[in-house]
Amino acid sequence: VAKLCVCDLLVAQCDVNCCCDPDCSADDFSLFTTCSVPVVTGDSRLCSQKAAVYSLDVGADPPERIVELTERVNPSVFCIHAANYKEALFFPSPETPTSENFDQLLKQFGSPAFSAEPDSWNADAEHPSGGNETYRYEYGAPIQTADAFLRLPSPVVSSWCSDANPAAFLVSQATKCTRSVSTEECDSIPALSMLFYTNSSILAVPKSSQMVNITVHSITVQSPKGTRTLLKGSDVFRLPTLVDGLCINVVLGVSYRVTHTDTGEITAAAAAFVLGAIEKEALSIQQSFQITFTQVDTEPVPLSGNPGYVVGLPVRAGFRPQGYPFPAGSTNQHSQLTILQSTASPDCLAARGARTPVLFGYNTISGCKLRVSAEMKCQPLAQTLLDVLKGQSFPEYVASFGNSQGQDVLDWVPITHLHVSEQTMRDFSPLSCLIPVSLEIEVKWTRYGSLVNPQARIVNVTATLTSAALKRVPSGRERMIPVMSSVVFTDVSAPAEPGYKAWPSIGIRLPQDFFFPFL
Amino acid sequence: SSPQLSSVPLQVLLYVNSIYYASYFAATLAMIVYKSQAFSYPDDFLAPDLTLLLLMALVEVLRLHLGSKGNLTEEEAPLGLSLALTVASVILAVYFLMWQTYVLRADVILNALLLLTYGLESVLKVMAIAAF
Repeated sequence: VAKLCVCDLLVAQCDVNCCCDPDCSADDFSLFTTCSVPVVTGDSRLCSQKAAVYSLDVGADPPERIVELTERVNPSVFCIHAANYKEALFFPSPETPTSENFDQLLKQFGSPAFSAEPDSWNADAEHPSGGNETYRYEYGAPIQTADAFLRLPSPVVSSWCSDANPAAFLVSQATKCTRSVSTEECDSIPALSMLFYTNSSILAVPKSSQMVNITVHSITVQSPKGTRTLLKGSDVFRLPTLVDGLCINVVLGVSYRVTHTDTGEITAAAAAFVLGAIEKEALSIQQSFQITFTQVDTEPVPLSGNPGYVVGLPVRAGFRPQGYPFPAGSTNQHSQLTILQSTASPDCLAARGARTPVLFGYNTISGCKLRVSAEMKCQPLAQTLLDVLKGQSFPEYVASFGNSQGQDVLDWVPITHLHVSEQTMRDFSPLSCLIPVSLEIEVKWTRYGSLVNPQARIVNVTATLTSAALKRVPSGRERMIPVMSSVVFTDVSAPAEPGYKAWPSIGIRLPQDFFFPFL
Repeated sequence: SSPQLSSVPLQVLLYVNSIYYASYFAATLAMIVYKSQAFSYPDDFLAPDLTLLLLMALVEVLRLHLGSKGNLTEEEAPLGLSLALTVASVILAVYFLMWQTYVLRADVILNALLLLTYGLESVLKVMAIAAF
């Protein structure tokens, strides 16, 4: 017990306030204020054990350390007088693996979890092999194929591609890795041809015999400069071939799209390829792989938040098809709320059509200048400006939450349109031309939900179109009119209210005939 | 009337012994349960302790019955048999005093008292046998 010291952490150095440290000298002890470890004893449940008591005598000058070796007696009647079981009070030392006990140790400790009683784990790990057990894919389960798993090559440790990475169900992944092509001729390396990625068929449910073939969805050919063209008629398999020192039809990227039902069954799988050309002497190429999952009968719509909007994701908007009552699946046509995008050239008409989606939380302002000459008529000019500001299809409704579905009508907020006209004092003539000069979209959003995890919810969208009178342009001259559009996000969150649970009430109800026969 | 040869102190001691042993059995069983919860008590060590405790109970019941019967009927044979069984009881008590897996202070006290009782009983039994 005198040799044990819990606070002696630094080797060959004195630990501060550690009275049992053998590396400390008497000078060090005189600088201590307290002893961090006052007593070192054996197991306190023993009836009598040795104890080393360390204390600092601050009365002496300089303070010195006092060590006492005493016997501590446990007064309880249930103290351990003697223990004939050696491992009772100590942690067992693990066995050192040797060639004899390695197999037994591997069997006992080789699995991901083990307990003191290894037999109980084996019983739980066995799946009940019932005949009516229906298997289905669960989130994260590897997608099984006829021989092994659906491969999604990805970089492991280094950037070289490893084909042993299985694709997991419902886990969308995108990976990029480098493939070595210097080993053989490029048309004999299997990982460069389309067949490698489509020849295995996926099992529809785990451990079944129902197969789903991987079809070729599309083939895009990438030229050496980087431009990509989509091939029409993508039924033919294009295998790598050597042509003039170039190896063409080499797989540069694969994008799997797996369609599944909501019960965990895979119904279809399609792969979109990007093929390119590499030089014959190339040592390595970079391949990119992607896998996405879509449920049957739904369009993959990227959500802008779940459920609240995430800052930086586009604000979802749409139209309501005419017809009353609402047909199911209304407010489809997932267009986006877009605003004018400022381009390099300041002329509005030159950059017509350049629009950028409105991202939640990002206030933006953009503008351009319109060149107006005397010959331009008022009405077409106003219409052109309106097109420039609002775009081709300005939506009518904005989604309240990032994951609002089309069929939930109440989750969509209508866009309110306001028209403001700037009238200057000098301009009284009613015939003057009013042209829209600025579009300001104000999006009011609030924090919704619990205080710990508030979600952003759009409550109001107002599009204010400001019109100004066009001053008469002298003939032969041109005037530049600045046109501006902006998006502002305002937080209109109400202060949070605490919500307390109701006090529990005691529900006592006497039976009706308790006082029979008096009542 | 014939003089009474049955030993009254022996009978009293046997009676007290039976009551004491009942509480000893209950207390030792409860302490074994406590030890199995408070300490690391694997099954390999728990089984022998429980078995020996039950065996001791059986031996004790038989021993006390024979001793009482022999003393009251003034026969030497049952008393002799009871004395032999006392040896077995002493060995078992020494096991619970020194060789069980965890010996608590309460165990020491109980078993020491039991051994003391056995010692006194043996002396009285020998005296009774000599008298019969």
